[in-house]
Amino acid sequence: MGRTFDILSRVGDEPAFRQEIRDWLAATVPADWRQRWQAVRESELKAIVVDWLEERRKVGLATPHWPREWGGPGIPFAYQIIVYEEFARADAPELDMYTISLFHTPATLFEHGTEEQKDRYLGGITHGTDIWCQGFSEPGAGSDLAALRTAARREDDHYVINGQKIWSSAAMHADYCLLLARTDPNGKRKHDGISYFIMDMKTPGIDVRPIPQITGESEFAEIFLDDVKIPVGNLIGAEGNGWQIAQSTLSTERGLLIFGAVERLAHSFELDARDARDGWMRDVQFRREYAAFHAELQSLRLMIRKLLIELEANPDKASPTLPTYIKLIWGPFLQRYTEFLLRAEGIDALKWQPSIPGTGHSSRLRMNDFLKSYGWTIAGGSNEIMRNIISERILGLPRG
Amino acid sequence: MSDDIDLGVLAESFAEMLGAEWPREKAVAYARAPGPAAQTLWGEMAALGWTALTVPAEHGGLGLGTAAAAHLHSALGTAAAPVPMLGTTLAAELLVAAGSPAQQAEWLPRLADGSVRAAVAQPTDAVIAAENAVVSATIPDMVDAPSADLLCLRGTRGGCACWLILPREAAGVSVEATALTDTTRTLGTVTLDGVAITDAAILLPDNAAGLADRLLRAAAIAIAADAIGGGEAALAGTIDYMKTREQFGRVIGSFQALKHRVADHQAALVAARGLVEHAAGLAPDDPRALLDALSAKQHVTRTVAEIARDCIQLHGGVGFTAEFFPHIYLKRGKLNEALWGTRTLLLDRIADMLEAA
Ligand SMILES: Cc1cc2nc3c(=O)[nH]c(=O)nc-3n(C[C@H](O)[C@H](O)[C@H](O)COP(=O)(O)OP(=O)(O)OC[C@H]3O[C@@H](n4cnc5c(N)ncnc54)[C@H](O)[C@@H]3O)c2cc1C
Repeated sequence: MGRTFDILSRVGDEPAFRQEIRDWLAATVPADWRQRWQAVRESELKAIVVDWLEERRKVGLATPHWPREWGGPGIPFAYQIIVYEEFARADAPELDMYTISLFHTPATLFEHGTEEQKDRYLGGITHGTDIWCQGFSEPGAGSDLAALRTAARREDDHYVINGQKIWSSAAMHADYCLLLARTDPNGKRKHDGISYFIMDMKTPGIDVRPIPQITGESEFAEIFLDDVKIPVGNLIGAEGNGWQIAQSTLSTERGLLIFGAVERLAHSFELDARDARDGWMRDVQFRREYAAFHAELQSLRLMIRKLLIELEANPDKASPTLPTYIKLIWGPFLQRYTEFLLRAEGIDALKWQPSIPGTGHSSRLRMNDFLKSYGWTIAGGSNEIMRNIISERILGLPRG
Repeated sequence: MSDDIDLGVLAESFAEMLGAEWPREKAVAYARAPGPAAQTLWGEMAALGWTALTVPAEHGGLGLGTAAAAHLHSALGTAAAPVPMLGTTLAAELLVAAGSPAQQAEWLPRLADGSVRAAVAQPTDAVIAAENAVVSATIPDMVDAPSADLLCLRGTRGGCACWLILPREAAGVSVEATALTDTTRTLGTVTLDGVAITDAAILLPDNAAGLADRLLRAAAIAIAADAIGGGEAALAGTIDYMKTREQFGRVIGSFQALKHRVADHQAALVAARGLVEHAAGLAPDDPRALLDALSAKQHVTRTVAEIARDCIQLHGGVGFTAEFFPHIYLKRGKLNEALWGTRTLLLDRIADMLEAA
């Protein structure tokens, strides 16, 4: 140790920037972090994740894609891409718990938050202290999100919230919640009358119950809301305008987030052939199946790169259709590839092992990765909904 | 190579000409009764310089690279154009890469102006032992051979791999056509009956394996590009049909079970086109060039053949008729899958390359 790193000063010289990140990652990410994290108890999880974010913060990379005015490094898009690429290549821990904090919250507040809201809330994310969750889905409003029923009733200087949210990732660790609730039950369309709030998770009346997942982990939770008071100042945008704002929250999900995920898989894909050199790579059938995935992985990476290049050139002119195609292809691809690895590795892959936090779908525990792959085809708008969008909005086929 | 000309504009001009000269009705009619129209179409393409695309400028060509050729093949696939461009593209590649100056001077200008059409043996085609001055052999299943004026055959001489560059009109050469279900391409058995082989007809590469890979790459990209053009056309035509055909009082395109299928097909084609264009854009000496080209070939031809299959189904009864277009793309799609290396053959090669990486 002892060496200090100055990654941000290398901006302007791409190879030097890349090298500095690599050196920093090599010095900072312990080679055995997976084994260590695998042994961590659920109650200690947040602490180690916060530690990792703190390490990143020291070199200015807690929130690599944020502008400087809100505590990010303010680096050009091409350099943000390098950061995500190098994190993936180095197999650094992922920040699953911070997904909403890093992506959805800024996407919402940068565009729609008041100056006061931005000042008050964004710093907590860059400083690694605040975790956010997203309270959109309800038991009766998933794909049909606009059918949500959680009610927000205005009383003087605050709103009173009653209802229930479900599938909220990281809610049990969260300090704040991006909440959608209905302020007007008599709107003409169900999309009208929805409002968007910042909810402090320490407010009385909030009950969070973790939901066990198919992997055995509990990364998401139910949130019960019983007369929860939210100050009027925590309304984002105008009352009743929540649906439009929610659209922009969700649409920003598909750039760097998915890029990082696919790069991790690409890295893992190379390791898989190496690790199986004396195993399933000697089986002609498995070997061919493996080889066939190369084309699909390449085509996905190319689509994402194309999107990133477009976003860099001009976010307003980037293809509105490409993200939908990417979303539709990526999840099923991941499912088929992880399922292939299960078959190729046989019974060993089916033996239970504790999951490894911070690895997303690339824990390389085959069954866990396979099961987790469903997150990508269900969350954030299921693939069936993506198919509706493509067939109706892009191909011009009529609604059913 | 001067690939800085606008490939998008080039692609548009291919599409425009073929849309006018080879509209879908013509393609459907041709599938039932192949005939001299193909010859006319070839002449028009040659007049526009399409046959000259990848031939170097010093031999009368345009000196463009694989990416430009890919756009051409993609447009030919879209139109299901019945022209032997594959053989011509590959013959140019072969001669440019390894032909002697005399061979290049003799054949390249004529390939460029379209007066010579060529057929090039696939890696799986028969190899001719050309140890003697006079050779007899039979080479079955050579693509583009029935219309070819120039035959490029695989051979060995002195124990080394070589190519035989034979004019079709040479004494002792004959070609017998074999009917294909895809009438937009032709297949033939080439017979050499005591053909005199001069040194001028022998192409002896310094690096035979390297040349074979270079040809394989060019073929993979041309075929993948042809496939993607065909797949896009088949799907677009099917979506149009789904917007007009009514059942149960509404257009079938409003049924979600059908909509979801075409949404998947569309997404798959968008991804596949990106892969083909990327593979075509890599420099031939890029270490990943062959890997990505073979990946594209096996993946795209498979994907397109599957989509074409579903396009028949989505048409219902008319999809089973010769009168509607989807069968043209299905037949060409299945042939594309089989040409220049079956999927398993390519996958074995891809696996080798991935393992070595
Ligand atoms: C890992 C994970 C993390 C999540 N994190 C969050 C979070 O942090 N915050 C949050 O608010 N939510 C979160 N969600 C919830 C997620 O957004 C919803 O699960 C998703 O929108 C689907 O809704 P649903 O579960 O109610 O399924 P349903 O809407 O009940 O869907 C059931 C099935 O019916 C299909 N279907 C529904 N409608 C149609 C239609 N019109 N046409 C065709 N098929 C249809 C669906 O595709 C699906 O296959 C998360 C979910 C997962 C899996």
